Amino acid sequence: MSTHLLEARDLEIRFGGVVAADGVNLTIDEGKNLAIIGPNGAGKTTFLNICTGWLKPSRGQVFFLGEDVTRLPPRKIVQRGVARAFQIPQLFSEHTAMENLLIAVSAREGRQSPFLQMEAQPERDEMRELLDLVGCADVADARVDALSEGRRKLVDIAVALALKPRLLLMDEPTSGVASSEKFEIMDILVKALARADVTSVFVEHDMGIVKNYADEVAVWNAGEVQMRGTPDEILAHPDVIRDVIGEEAA
Amino acid sequence: MDYTIVLLAIFDGLSYAALVFMVAVGLTLIFGVLRILNVAHGSLYAIGAYLTASIGGAIFAAGFAPILAFPLMLIAAALVGILLGGPIEYLLLRRIYHKPEVLQLLVTFAVFMILEDVQRLVWGNQPYFEASALQMLGNIQVFGVYYTVYQLILLPVVAALTLIGLRVFLRKTLTGRLITAVTEDREAAQSIGIDANRVYLLTFVVGAGLAGLGGALASPTTSVLPGIGAEMIVLSFAVVATAGLGRIEGAAIAALLIGLGRSAATYTFPELQVLVPYLIMLAVLLVRPEGLFGSPAARKI
Repeated sequence: MSTHLLEARDLEIRFGGVVAADGVNLTIDEGKNLAIIGPNGAGKTTFLNICTGWLKPSRGQVFFLGEDVTRLPPRKIVQRGVARAFQIPQLFSEHTAMENLLIAVSAREGRQSPFLQMEAQPERDEMRELLDLVGCADVADARVDALSEGRRKLVDIAVALALKPRLLLMDEPTSGVASSEKFEIMDILVKALARADVTSVFVEHDMGIVKNYADEVAVWNAGEVQMRGTPDEILAHPDVIRDVIGEEAA
Repeated sequence: MDYTIVLLAIFDGLSYAALVFMVAVGLTLIFGVLRILNVAHGSLYAIGAYLTASIGGAIFAAGFAPILAFPLMLIAAALVGILLGGPIEYLLLRRIYHKPEVLQLLVTFAVFMILEDVQRLVWGNQPYFEASALQMLGNIQVFGVYYTVYQLILLPVVAALTLIGLRVFLRKTLTGRLITAVTEDREAAQSIGIDANRVYLLTFVVGAGLAGLGGALASPTTSVLPGIGAEMIVLSFAVVATAGLGRIEGAAIAALLIGLGRSAATYTFPELQVLVPYLIMLAVLLVRPEGLFGSPAARKI
Protein backbone atom coordinates (compact mmCIF):
# COMPACT_ATOMS: atom_id res chain seq x y z
CA MET A 1 0.00 0.00 0.00
CA SER A 2 1.34 3.38 -0.91
CA THR A 3 2.23 5.73 1.91
CA HIS A 4 1.93 8.83 -0.22
CA LEU A 5 0.04 11.69 1.34
CA LEU A 6 -1.48 12.54 -2.01
CA GLU A 7 -1.22 10.81 -5.32
CA ALA A 8 -2.59 11.99 -8.65
CA ARG A 9 -2.86 9.31 -11.31
CA ASP A 10 -3.20 10.12 -14.97
CA LEU A 11 -5.45 13.18 -14.55
CA GLU A 12 -7.02 14.62 -17.65
CA ILE A 13 -9.34 17.59 -18.04
CA ARG A 14 -10.16 19.92 -20.92
CA PHE A 15 -11.89 23.27 -21.12
CA GLY A 16 -13.16 23.52 -24.67
CA GLY A 17 -10.08 22.98 -26.78
CA VAL A 18 -7.59 23.69 -23.99
CA VAL A 19 -6.07 20.70 -22.24
CA ALA A 20 -5.49 21.83 -18.67
CA ALA A 21 -4.41 18.42 -17.44
CA ASP A 22 -3.07 15.85 -19.86
CA GLY A 23 -2.07 12.75 -17.97
CA VAL A 24 -0.81 14.36 -14.77
CA ASN A 25 0.96 11.98 -12.42
CA LEU A 26 2.27 13.35 -9.15
CA THR A 27 2.92 12.11 -5.66
CA ILE A 28 3.24 14.25 -2.59
CA ASP A 29 4.90 12.93 0.54
CA GLU A 30 4.53 14.05 4.09
CA GLY A 31 6.87 16.77 5.32
CA LYS A 32 8.18 18.07 1.99
CA ASN A 33 7.03 21.46 0.81
CA LEU A 34 6.51 21.26 -2.92
CA ALA A 35 6.49 24.30 -5.18
CA ILE A 36 4.70 24.12 -8.51
CA ILE A 37 6.03 26.45 -11.18
CA GLY A 38 5.25 26.89 -14.85
CA PRO A 39 4.01 29.38 -17.41
CA ASN A 40 0.49 30.82 -17.19
CA GLY A 41 -2.16 28.45 -18.48
CA ALA A 42 -0.05 25.37 -17.78
CA GLY A 43 -2.80 23.94 -15.55
CA LYS A 44 -1.30 24.56 -12.11
CA THR A 45 -4.44 26.03 -10.56
CA THR A 46 -6.57 23.41 -12.31
CA PHE A 47 -4.52 20.75 -10.59
CA LEU A 48 -5.21 22.30 -7.18
CA ASN A 49 -8.90 22.53 -8.04
CA ILE A 50 -9.04 18.85 -8.92
CA CYS A 51 -7.25 17.86 -5.71
CA THR A 52 -9.72 19.85 -3.62
CA GLY A 53 -12.80 18.52 -5.41
CA TRP A 54 -13.83 21.74 -7.14
CA LEU A 55 -13.21 20.28 -10.58
CA LYS A 56 -13.85 16.72 -11.66
CA PRO A 57 -11.32 15.29 -14.13
CA SER A 58 -12.57 13.48 -17.22
CA ARG A 59 -10.01 10.76 -16.54
CA GLY A 60 -7.74 9.73 -13.72
CA GLN A 61 -7.89 9.67 -9.96
CA VAL A 62 -6.70 11.48 -6.88
CA PHE A 63 -5.81 9.47 -3.79
CA PHE A 64 -5.42 10.98 -0.36
CA LEU A 65 -3.77 8.65 2.15
CA GLY A 66 -4.62 5.79 -0.18
CA GLU A 67 -8.32 6.68 -0.47
CA ASP A 68 -9.83 7.66 -3.82
CA VAL A 69 -11.22 11.18 -3.28
CA THR A 70 -11.70 12.11 -6.95
CA ARG A 71 -15.50 12.20 -6.91
CA LEU A 72 -15.98 13.53 -3.40
CA PRO A 73 -17.47 17.01 -2.91
CA PRO A 74 -15.01 19.70 -1.73
CA ARG A 75 -16.42 19.65 1.79
CA LYS A 76 -15.69 15.93 2.24
CA ILE A 77 -12.16 16.35 0.98
CA VAL A 78 -11.54 19.15 3.49
CA GLN A 79 -12.85 16.92 6.25
CA ARG A 80 -10.32 14.26 5.27
CA GLY A 81 -7.45 16.71 5.69
CA VAL A 82 -6.81 18.65 2.49
CA ALA A 83 -7.18 22.41 2.98
CA ARG A 84 -6.61 25.16 0.46
CA ALA A 85 -5.66 28.81 0.44
CA PHE A 86 -6.07 30.74 -2.74
CA GLN A 87 -4.66 33.86 -4.40
CA ILE A 88 -7.38 36.01 -2.95
CA PRO A 89 -7.96 35.17 0.71
CA GLN A 90 -11.35 33.53 1.09
CA LEU A 91 -12.46 35.09 4.33
CA PHE A 92 -15.87 36.13 5.63
CA SER A 93 -15.14 39.80 5.28
CA GLU A 94 -17.92 41.06 7.52
CA HIS A 95 -16.54 39.03 10.42
CA THR A 96 -13.48 39.50 12.63
CA ALA A 97 -10.36 37.35 12.32
CA MET A 98 -11.34 35.44 15.45
CA GLU A 99 -14.88 34.89 14.17
CA ASN A 100 -13.49 33.53 10.92
CA LEU A 101 -11.49 30.98 12.88
CA LEU A 102 -14.46 30.10 15.07
CA ILE A 103 -16.60 29.51 12.00
CA ALA A 104 -13.86 27.25 10.64
CA VAL A 105 -13.59 25.30 13.87
CA SER A 106 -17.35 24.74 14.03
CA ALA A 107 -17.15 23.42 10.47
CA ARG A 108 -14.25 21.15 11.45
CA GLU A 109 -16.15 19.77 14.42
CA GLY A 110 -19.40 19.50 12.40
CA ARG A 111 -20.96 21.55 15.16
CA GLN A 112 -24.30 23.24 14.60
CA SER A 113 -26.64 24.60 17.19
CA PRO A 114 -29.39 27.20 17.30
CA PHE A 115 -28.73 27.59 21.04
CA LEU A 116 -24.97 27.61 21.45
CA GLN A 117 -23.23 30.95 20.95
CA MET A 118 -20.40 30.83 18.47
CA GLU A 119 -18.01 32.48 20.90
CA ALA A 120 -18.80 29.86 23.54
CA GLN A 121 -16.96 27.14 21.67
CA PRO A 122 -14.25 25.39 23.71
CA GLU A 123 -11.59 25.91 21.02
CA ARG A 124 -11.30 29.66 21.60
CA ASP A 125 -7.84 29.40 23.18
CA GLU A 126 -6.66 27.02 20.49
CA MET A 127 -7.75 29.58 17.87
CA ARG A 128 -6.01 32.41 19.71
CA GLU A 129 -2.79 30.38 19.63
CA LEU A 130 -3.23 29.87 15.89
CA LEU A 131 -3.59 33.61 15.36
CA ASP A 132 -0.51 34.08 17.46
CA LEU A 133 1.33 31.51 15.37
CA VAL A 134 0.72 33.55 12.20
CA GLY A 135 1.53 36.79 14.00
CA CYS A 136 -2.02 38.13 13.93
CA ALA A 137 -3.02 37.90 17.59
CA ASP A 138 -3.18 41.69 17.75
CA VAL A 139 -5.92 41.88 15.11
CA ALA A 140 -8.06 39.03 16.46
CA ASP A 141 -11.03 41.33 16.98
CA ALA A 142 -10.63 43.46 13.87
CA ARG A 143 -12.91 42.91 10.91
CA VAL A 144 -10.89 41.18 8.22
CA ASP A 145 -11.91 43.67 5.53
CA ALA A 146 -10.02 46.31 7.52
CA LEU A 147 -6.74 44.35 7.42
CA SER A 148 -3.87 44.73 4.96
CA GLU A 149 -3.63 42.17 2.18
CA GLY A 150 -0.61 40.58 3.86
CA ARG A 151 -2.47 40.19 7.13
CA ARG A 152 -5.49 38.77 5.33
CA LYS A 153 -3.25 36.16 3.72
CA LEU A 154 -1.97 35.13 7.12
CA VAL A 155 -5.46 34.99 8.64
CA ASP A 156 -6.50 32.90 5.65
CA ILE A 157 -3.68 30.46 6.43
CA ALA A 158 -4.77 30.40 10.08
CA VAL A 159 -8.31 29.53 8.94
CA ALA A 160 -6.89 26.68 6.87
CA LEU A 161 -4.81 25.47 9.83
CA ALA A 162 -7.86 25.66 12.10
CA LEU A 163 -9.24 22.77 10.04
CA LYS A 164 -6.27 20.65 11.21
CA PRO A 165 -5.31 19.56 7.70
CA ARG A 166 -2.49 17.15 6.80
CA LEU A 167 -1.95 18.89 3.49
CA LEU A 168 -2.37 22.54 2.55
CA LEU A 169 -2.63 23.54 -1.10
CA MET A 170 -1.82 27.19 -1.76
CA ASP A 171 -2.20 29.14 -4.97
CA GLU A 172 0.39 31.93 -4.99
CA PRO A 173 0.47 32.60 -1.26
CA THR A 174 2.27 35.91 -1.72
CA SER A 175 0.46 37.34 -4.74
CA GLY A 176 -0.98 40.77 -4.16
CA VAL A 177 1.49 41.43 -1.37
CA ALA A 178 4.14 44.15 -1.64
CA SER A 179 7.47 42.56 -2.55
CA SER A 180 9.06 43.99 0.59
CA GLU A 181 6.61 41.97 2.67
CA LYS A 182 6.78 38.73 0.71
CA PHE A 183 9.68 37.10 2.51
CA GLU A 184 8.37 38.10 5.90
CA ILE A 185 5.04 36.48 5.14
CA MET A 186 6.66 33.33 3.80
CA ASP A 187 8.85 33.10 6.91
CA ILE A 188 5.80 33.21 9.17
CA LEU A 189 3.90 30.84 6.93
CA VAL A 190 6.58 28.18 6.66
CA LYS A 191 7.24 28.30 10.37
CA ALA A 192 3.53 27.97 11.16
CA LEU A 193 3.19 25.03 8.78
CA ALA A 194 6.16 23.27 10.34
CA ARG A 195 4.81 23.84 13.83
CA ALA A 196 1.37 22.55 12.84
CA ASP A 197 2.98 19.58 11.08
CA VAL A 198 1.29 20.37 7.77
CA THR A 199 2.74 19.53 4.39
CA SER A 200 2.27 22.19 1.75
CA VAL A 201 2.06 22.46 -1.99
CA PHE A 202 2.20 25.96 -3.40
CA VAL A 203 1.95 27.42 -6.86
CA GLU A 204 4.48 30.23 -7.16
CA HIS A 205 5.76 32.61 -9.78
CA ASP A 206 8.45 34.25 -7.68
CA MET A 207 11.61 32.18 -8.12
CA GLY A 208 13.24 33.84 -5.11
CA ILE A 209 10.51 32.36 -2.94
CA VAL A 210 10.72 28.97 -4.62
CA LYS A 211 14.48 28.89 -4.04
CA ASN A 212 14.19 29.83 -0.37
CA TYR A 213 11.14 27.96 0.81
CA ALA A 214 10.54 24.85 -1.32
CA ASP A 215 12.04 21.46 -0.58
CA GLU A 216 11.08 20.25 -4.03
CA VAL A 217 9.92 21.82 -7.26
CA ALA A 218 7.61 20.42 -9.94
CA VAL A 219 7.53 22.10 -13.33
CA TRP A 220 4.18 22.26 -15.11
CA ASN A 221 3.84 22.84 -18.82
CA ALA A 222 0.89 22.36 -21.17
CA GLY A 223 -1.03 20.30 -18.64
CA GLU A 224 1.85 18.00 -17.75
CA VAL A 225 4.47 17.62 -15.04
CA GLN A 226 7.64 18.03 -17.05
CA MET A 227 10.28 17.85 -14.37
CA ARG A 228 10.68 17.43 -10.69
CA GLY A 229 13.67 17.93 -8.44
CA THR A 230 15.35 20.08 -5.84
CA PRO A 231 15.11 23.86 -6.29
CA ASP A 232 18.81 24.06 -7.18
CA GLU A 233 18.54 21.43 -9.93
CA ILE A 234 15.32 22.74 -11.37
CA LEU A 235 16.05 26.45 -11.33
CA ALA A 236 19.38 25.86 -13.06
CA HIS A 237 17.91 23.72 -15.81
CA PRO A 238 18.16 25.37 -19.24
CA ASP A 239 14.60 24.41 -20.26
CA VAL A 240 13.21 25.92 -17.09
CA ILE A 241 15.24 29.07 -17.56
CA ARG A 242 13.92 29.38 -21.12
CA ASP A 243 10.25 28.41 -20.59
CA VAL A 244 9.46 29.51 -17.06
CA ILE A 245 11.96 31.93 -15.63
CA GLY A 246 12.33 33.74 -18.96
CA GLU A 247 8.64 34.29 -19.12
CA GLU A 248 8.48 35.46 -15.54
CA ALA A 249 11.27 37.94 -16.15
CA ALA A 250 9.58 39.34 -19.25
CA MET B 1 -61.58 64.27 11.91
CA ASP B 2 -62.63 62.24 14.92
CA TYR B 3 -59.58 60.99 16.81
CA THR B 4 -61.16 57.56 17.26
CA ILE B 5 -61.00 57.14 13.50
CA VAL B 6 -57.31 57.97 13.59
CA LEU B 7 -56.77 55.46 16.36
CA LEU B 8 -58.70 52.79 14.49
CA ALA B 9 -56.65 53.44 11.39
CA ILE B 10 -53.44 53.10 13.40
CA PHE B 11 -54.60 49.86 15.03
CA ASP B 12 -55.73 48.41 11.71
CA GLY B 13 -52.42 49.35 10.18
CA LEU B 14 -50.41 47.90 13.04
CA SER B 15 -52.14 44.52 13.05
CA TYR B 16 -52.05 44.29 9.29
CA ALA B 17 -48.37 45.25 9.24
CA ALA B 18 -47.64 42.47 11.74
CA LEU B 19 -49.22 39.88 9.44
CA VAL B 20 -47.53 41.16 6.30
CA PHE B 21 -44.21 41.24 8.13
CA MET B 22 -44.49 37.56 9.09
CA VAL B 23 -44.74 36.65 5.41
CA ALA B 24 -42.30 39.25 4.08
CA VAL B 25 -39.58 38.36 6.58
CA GLY B 26 -39.49 34.74 5.39
CA LEU B 27 -39.42 35.91 1.79
CA THR B 28 -36.53 38.28 2.43
CA LEU B 29 -34.61 35.72 4.54
CA ILE B 30 -34.84 33.18 1.73
CA PHE B 31 -33.79 35.77 -0.82
CA GLY B 32 -30.92 36.98 1.35
CA VAL B 33 -29.44 33.51 1.73
CA LEU B 34 -30.52 31.55 -1.35
CA ARG B 35 -30.74 34.50 -3.78
CA ILE B 36 -34.07 33.19 -5.00
CA LEU B 37 -37.28 35.18 -5.06
CA ASN B 38 -39.82 32.61 -3.99
CA VAL B 39 -43.19 33.34 -5.60
CA ALA B 40 -44.59 30.15 -4.05
CA HIS B 41 -44.23 31.88 -0.68
CA GLY B 42 -47.81 33.16 -1.13
CA SER B 43 -49.13 29.61 -1.38
CA LEU B 44 -47.28 28.60 1.77
CA TYR B 45 -49.05 31.46 3.54
CA ALA B 46 -52.43 30.36 2.17
CA ILE B 47 -51.88 26.72 3.08
CA GLY B 48 -50.89 27.73 6.62
CA ALA B 49 -54.21 29.59 6.84
CA TYR B 50 -56.24 26.73 5.32
CA LEU B 51 -54.69 24.14 7.62
CA THR B 52 -55.40 26.20 10.72
CA ALA B 53 -58.95 27.14 9.75
CA SER B 54 -60.04 23.70 8.54
CA ILE B 55 -58.39 21.59 11.27
CA GLY B 56 -59.44 24.12 13.91
CA GLY B 57 -63.03 24.09 12.64
CA ALA B 58 -63.10 20.29 12.74
CA ILE B 59 -61.61 19.82 16.20
CA PHE B 60 -63.58 22.61 17.86
CA ALA B 61 -66.79 21.18 16.34
CA ALA B 62 -65.77 17.86 17.92
CA GLY B 63 -65.66 19.60 21.30
CA PHE B 64 -61.97 20.29 21.84
CA ALA B 65 -60.99 23.40 23.81
CA PRO B 66 -60.53 26.60 21.75
CA ILE B 67 -57.17 27.22 23.47
CA LEU B 68 -55.80 24.52 21.16
CA ALA B 69 -56.05 27.10 18.38
CA PHE B 70 -52.64 28.46 19.39
CA PRO B 71 -50.62 25.24 19.39
CA LEU B 72 -52.46 24.36 16.19
CA MET B 73 -51.02 27.48 14.53
CA LEU B 74 -47.48 26.41 15.41
CA ILE B 75 -48.15 22.90 14.16
CA ALA B 76 -49.56 24.23 10.89
CA ALA B 77 -46.47 26.43 10.47
CA ALA B 78 -44.15 23.49 11.14
CA LEU B 79 -46.06 21.30 8.68
CA VAL B 80 -45.82 23.95 5.97
CA GLY B 81 -42.11 24.47 6.64
CA ILE B 82 -41.12 20.82 6.78
CA LEU B 83 -43.57 19.04 4.48
CA LEU B 84 -43.77 21.71 1.77
CA GLY B 85 -40.67 23.89 2.25
CA GLY B 86 -38.31 20.93 2.64
CA PRO B 87 -39.23 19.13 -0.59
CA ILE B 88 -39.45 22.37 -2.61
CA GLU B 89 -35.86 23.25 -1.73
CA TYR B 90 -34.48 19.72 -1.84
CA LEU B 91 -36.15 18.48 -5.02
CA LEU B 92 -36.52 21.68 -7.02
CA LEU B 93 -34.60 24.78 -6.00
CA ARG B 94 -31.35 22.85 -5.47
CA ARG B 95 -31.27 22.21 -9.22
CA ILE B 96 -31.63 25.84 -10.24
CA TYR B 97 -29.31 27.86 -7.99
CA HIS B 98 -26.88 28.39 -10.85
CA LYS B 99 -29.55 29.06 -13.45
CA PRO B 100 -30.66 32.49 -14.71
CA GLU B 101 -32.96 34.49 -12.45
CA VAL B 102 -35.78 34.45 -14.98
CA LEU B 103 -35.84 30.67 -14.85
CA GLN B 104 -35.78 30.70 -11.05
CA LEU B 105 -38.76 33.05 -11.02
CA LEU B 106 -40.64 30.89 -13.51
CA VAL B 107 -39.99 27.74 -11.49
CA THR B 108 -41.22 29.22 -8.21
CA PHE B 109 -44.16 30.75 -10.08
CA ALA B 110 -44.99 27.29 -11.43
CA VAL B 111 -44.88 25.91 -7.90
CA PHE B 112 -47.22 28.71 -6.88
CA MET B 113 -49.70 27.80 -9.66
CA ILE B 114 -49.56 24.12 -8.77
CA LEU B 115 -50.12 24.80 -5.08
CA GLU B 116 -53.05 27.13 -5.89
CA ASP B 117 -54.79 24.24 -7.65
CA VAL B 118 -53.86 21.84 -4.87
CA GLN B 119 -55.62 24.18 -2.45
CA ARG B 120 -58.79 24.10 -4.57
CA LEU B 121 -58.59 20.31 -4.78
CA VAL B 122 -58.22 19.87 -1.04
CA TRP B 123 -60.34 22.69 0.34
CA GLY B 124 -62.66 23.53 -2.57
CA ASN B 125 -63.89 27.03 -3.41
CA GLN B 126 -65.94 27.74 -0.29
CA PRO B 127 -64.47 30.06 2.33
CA TYR B 128 -63.35 28.82 5.74
CA PHE B 129 -63.76 30.97 8.80
CA GLU B 130 -62.54 29.93 12.23
CA ALA B 131 -62.10 32.73 14.74
CA SER B 132 -61.92 30.93 18.09
CA ALA B 133 -58.45 32.29 18.81
CA LEU B 134 -59.58 35.83 18.18
CA GLN B 135 -62.82 35.52 20.20
CA MET B 136 -61.06 33.83 23.10
CA LEU B 137 -58.78 36.76 23.80
CA GLY B 138 -61.66 39.25 23.77
CA ASN B 139 -61.51 43.03 23.32
CA ILE B 140 -59.54 45.79 24.87
CA GLN B 141 -60.46 49.45 25.28
CA VAL B 142 -57.75 51.94 24.37
CA PHE B 143 -58.59 55.67 24.64
CA GLY B 144 -62.23 54.88 24.20
CA VAL B 145 -61.72 52.65 21.18
CA TYR B 146 -62.53 48.93 21.36
CA TYR B 147 -60.23 46.60 19.51
CA THR B 148 -59.52 42.86 19.61
CA VAL B 149 -56.62 41.83 21.86
CA TYR B 150 -55.65 39.28 19.24
CA GLN B 151 -55.04 41.91 16.56
CA LEU B 152 -53.84 44.78 18.67
CA ILE B 153 -51.52 42.90 21.04
CA LEU B 154 -50.93 39.30 20.06
CA LEU B 155 -50.10 39.85 16.36
CA PRO B 156 -47.66 42.75 16.91
CA VAL B 157 -46.03 40.89 19.83
CA VAL B 158 -45.54 37.75 17.75
CA ALA B 159 -44.11 39.84 14.89
CA ALA B 160 -41.74 41.67 17.26
CA LEU B 161 -40.61 38.40 18.84
CA THR B 162 -40.01 36.94 15.38
CA LEU B 163 -37.89 39.94 14.43
CA ILE B 164 -35.85 39.84 17.65
CA GLY B 165 -35.60 36.05 17.54
CA LEU B 166 -34.30 36.05 13.97
CA ARG B 167 -31.81 38.79 14.75
CA VAL B 168 -30.41 36.97 17.76
CA PHE B 169 -30.46 33.66 15.90
CA LEU B 170 -28.51 35.02 12.93
CA ARG B 171 -26.04 37.15 14.86
CA LYS B 172 -25.35 35.13 17.97
CA THR B 173 -25.98 31.43 17.55
CA LEU B 174 -23.69 28.98 15.86
CA THR B 175 -26.22 27.89 13.26
CA GLY B 176 -27.10 31.51 12.54
CA ARG B 177 -23.46 32.42 12.05
CA LEU B 178 -23.03 29.53 9.65
CA ILE B 179 -26.02 30.83 7.69
CA THR B 180 -24.48 34.31 7.47
CA ALA B 181 -21.13 32.78 6.49
CA VAL B 182 -22.70 30.83 3.62
CA THR B 183 -24.60 33.96 2.61
CA GLU B 184 -21.43 36.01 2.52
CA ASP B 185 -19.38 33.54 0.51
CA ARG B 186 -20.78 30.15 -0.37
CA GLU B 187 -17.54 28.93 -1.94
CA ALA B 188 -15.39 29.98 1.02
CA ALA B 189 -17.86 28.26 3.32
CA GLN B 190 -17.64 25.05 1.36
CA SER B 191 -13.86 25.17 1.27
CA ILE B 192 -13.73 25.06 5.03
CA GLY B 193 -16.15 22.15 5.08
CA ILE B 194 -19.50 23.81 5.80
CA ASP B 195 -22.40 21.90 4.29
CA ALA B 196 -23.92 24.74 2.28
CA ASN B 197 -26.76 22.52 1.01
CA ARG B 198 -27.87 21.83 4.54
CA VAL B 199 -27.75 25.52 5.39
CA TYR B 200 -29.89 26.33 2.34
CA LEU B 201 -32.40 23.64 3.24
CA LEU B 202 -32.62 24.86 6.82
CA THR B 203 -33.08 28.47 5.72
CA PHE B 204 -35.83 27.58 3.28
CA VAL B 205 -37.66 25.46 5.84
CA VAL B 206 -37.51 28.31 8.37
CA GLY B 207 -38.64 30.87 5.77
CA ALA B 208 -41.49 28.65 4.58
CA GLY B 209 -42.48 27.97 8.18
CA LEU B 210 -42.72 31.72 8.78
CA ALA B 211 -45.05 32.08 5.78
CA GLY B 212 -47.15 29.23 7.19
CA LEU B 213 -47.20 30.90 10.59
CA GLY B 214 -48.26 34.16 8.96
CA GLY B 215 -51.18 32.36 7.33
CA ALA B 216 -52.09 30.57 10.54
CA LEU B 217 -52.08 33.86 12.45
CA ALA B 218 -54.13 35.59 9.75
CA SER B 219 -56.81 32.89 9.58
CA PRO B 220 -58.90 34.03 12.59
CA THR B 221 -59.05 37.58 11.22
CA THR B 222 -60.31 36.83 7.73
CA SER B 223 -62.14 34.33 5.55
CA VAL B 224 -59.76 31.82 4.06
CA LEU B 225 -60.62 31.47 0.41
CA PRO B 226 -58.91 31.03 -2.96
CA GLY B 227 -56.73 33.99 -3.95
CA ILE B 228 -55.47 35.04 -0.52
CA GLY B 229 -52.03 33.63 -1.37
CA ALA B 230 -51.74 35.75 -4.50
CA GLU B 231 -52.82 38.88 -2.65
CA MET B 232 -50.30 38.29 0.13
CA ILE B 233 -47.34 37.47 -2.10
CA VAL B 234 -47.79 40.66 -4.11
CA LEU B 235 -48.03 42.73 -0.94
CA SER B 236 -44.98 40.99 0.56
CA PHE B 237 -43.02 41.71 -2.59
CA ALA B 238 -43.91 45.37 -2.16
CA VAL B 239 -42.68 45.28 1.45
CA VAL B 240 -39.47 43.42 0.58
CA ALA B 241 -38.70 45.71 -2.36
CA THR B 242 -39.42 48.83 -0.32
CA ALA B 243 -37.13 47.62 2.46
CA GLY B 244 -34.35 46.40 0.18
CA LEU B 245 -34.03 42.72 -0.71
CA GLY B 246 -32.63 40.58 2.06
CA ARG B 247 -33.09 43.20 4.79
CA ILE B 248 -34.82 41.69 7.79
CA GLU B 249 -35.08 44.74 10.03
CA GLY B 250 -35.93 46.84 7.00
CA ALA B 251 -38.86 44.54 6.24
CA ALA B 252 -40.33 45.40 9.64
CA ILE B 253 -40.14 49.14 8.95
CA ALA B 254 -41.48 48.75 5.42
CA ALA B 255 -44.33 46.54 6.66
CA LEU B 256 -45.30 49.24 9.17
CA LEU B 257 -45.08 51.93 6.53
CA ILE B 258 -47.22 50.01 4.09
CA GLY B 259 -49.63 48.70 6.73
CA LEU B 260 -50.27 52.18 8.14
CA GLY B 261 -50.43 53.76 4.69
CA ARG B 262 -52.96 51.20 3.56
CA SER B 263 -55.24 51.65 6.56
CA ALA B 264 -54.97 55.44 6.35
CA ALA B 265 -56.25 55.13 2.79
CA THR B 266 -59.04 52.80 3.90
CA TYR B 267 -60.44 55.53 6.17
CA THR B 268 -59.83 58.50 3.89
CA PHE B 269 -59.81 57.37 0.26
CA PRO B 270 -61.10 53.80 0.39
CA GLU B 271 -60.93 53.49 -3.39
CA LEU B 272 -57.14 53.86 -3.14
CA GLN B 273 -56.73 51.16 -0.49
CA VAL B 274 -55.45 48.52 -2.90
CA LEU B 275 -53.19 50.96 -4.65
CA VAL B 276 -51.49 52.67 -1.71
CA PRO B 277 -48.94 49.93 -0.86
CA TYR B 278 -47.63 50.07 -4.42
CA LEU B 279 -47.61 53.86 -4.50
CA ILE B 280 -45.45 53.80 -1.37
CA MET B 281 -43.15 51.23 -2.98
CA LEU B 282 -43.00 53.29 -6.16
CA ALA B 283 -42.17 56.48 -4.27
CA VAL B 284 -39.37 54.75 -2.33
CA LEU B 285 -37.90 53.01 -5.37
CA LEU B 286 -37.92 56.23 -7.40
CA VAL B 287 -35.69 57.87 -4.81
CA ARG B 288 -33.75 54.78 -3.71
CA PRO B 289 -33.87 52.04 -6.35
CA GLU B 290 -32.12 49.63 -3.96
CA GLY B 291 -34.84 50.09 -1.32
CA LEU B 292 -34.79 51.93 2.00
CA PHE B 293 -32.10 49.75 3.57
CA GLY B 294 -30.65 47.90 0.59
CA SER B 295 -27.16 48.25 -0.77
CA PRO B 296 -26.91 48.62 -4.55
CA ALA B 297 -24.74 45.51 -4.89
CA ALA B 298 -27.26 43.30 -3.15
CA ARG B 299 -29.97 44.22 -5.63
CA LYS B 300 -30.39 41.35 -8.04
CA ILE B 301 -33.65 42.10 -9.79
